[in-house]
Amino acid sequence: MKTDGCRERRESLGAYALGHLPADERAGLEAHLEGCPSCRAEAEQLAALAGPLSLADPARFEAAPVPPASLAARVAAAIARERLTRRRRRMRFGLALSGAVAAAAVAVALLVLPGGGSAGPEQHVTFASLPRGMKISAKLIPHAYGTEIHMYVQGVSSGTLCRVYLLRSNGSRLSAGSFRYRWGDDNLAILSSALDLSKTDAVEVRVGDRVFNQEVRQ
Amino acid sequence: MPVGALIRDRDVREAYAAHAGELYGFAARSLGDAGLAEEAVQETFLRAWRAGKRFDPEIGSLRTWLFAILRNVVIDLGRARAARPGVAEGEAEPTVEPIEETLLAWQVEEAMRRIGDQHRQILVETYYRGRPYAEVAEELGIPVGTVKSRVYYALRALRIALEEMGYED
Repeated sequence: MKTDGCRERRESLGAYALGHLPADERAGLEAHLEGCPSCRAEAEQLAALAGPLSLADPARFEAAPVPPASLAARVAAAIARERLTRRRRRMRFGLALSGAVAAAAVAVALLVLPGGGSAGPEQHVTFASLPRGMKISAKLIPHAYGTEIHMYVQGVSSGTLCRVYLLRSNGSRLSAGSFRYRWGDDNLAILSSALDLSKTDAVEVRVGDRVFNQEVRQ
Repeated sequence: MPVGALIRDRDVREAYAAHAGELYGFAARSLGDAGLAEEAVQETFLRAWRAGKRFDPEIGSLRTWLFAILRNVVIDLGRARAARPGVAEGEAEPTVEPIEETLLAWQVEEAMRRIGDQHRQILVETYYRGRPYAEVAEELGIPVGTVKSRVYYALRALRIALEEMGYED
């Protein structure tokens, strides 16, 4: 209930949230909060800031550090370099793939084309842009109930919690369970999700507190 | 190619112009070193460009996406630095703040820069310096009640600034 007293009370909510209100004023305000859900909601919103505030360093409030002007050019150069390397690699691959090799590749492609199972083909997903030494891949197998997921993880510390999600094109994310990577184990985890493989756009894996995504080519 | 994908040089330039400052600020805050922060920003844009086709503005903003990449880069760089031999020898091991806390600290510091000077000042005096309201009131030549209400409006402004940066309780 909003009353005329609210405005004045509200202006104490900041001091209240920071624990600065003298005991008598605090008691009066708390009595008001009991009966006033809208003031109470605001008190809670402001109280939630106390934790984050305590982490900040007031010596850093004045000026934000600014990146040097040359960094933009270095970023552009790094991308240009990588683009060039990729193009060269692709050309080399193109030359190798000639004659009989190409014919064999076509034959293999025909073999793995869909047509077998009623639920469509499996999908293999290899995660790109991972830190050096880390490998993540997944095999997605369609079923009537949803999707079976075989996760392979390598190069993370033993015991790391890995959580797996399937992402839909509308952006929603469905959990497919979790597992722990154990060094020396066969590094395979079998999970499942109710989401149809045909509706799955990407696989997301949270390795510890790091998040990796890879799209599924349908 | 999805709209908003980060593929052409122009896309990268625009993303850099819009977000590099903030990304650098957070990288410098968490790595504590200007050179490493530059490396982190460069690596972030490189990874973003490599994965550029996968960026989907319907899932989240470009800013959120870049920050998610930077977070991973900062963890990798921090880990690489911790593993470098010789650094910790004979010294106390450097304490590494958990990245979520650093992100939150940086967000508050950034929000403090975005709110008005009066609002920032009142929070510094009363909260960070822990000074009595009466003393602050006298110094600023305003009634104690105004100090109190200013703390309230400052916290509200801070909360709005934080929410604009993607903060959630």
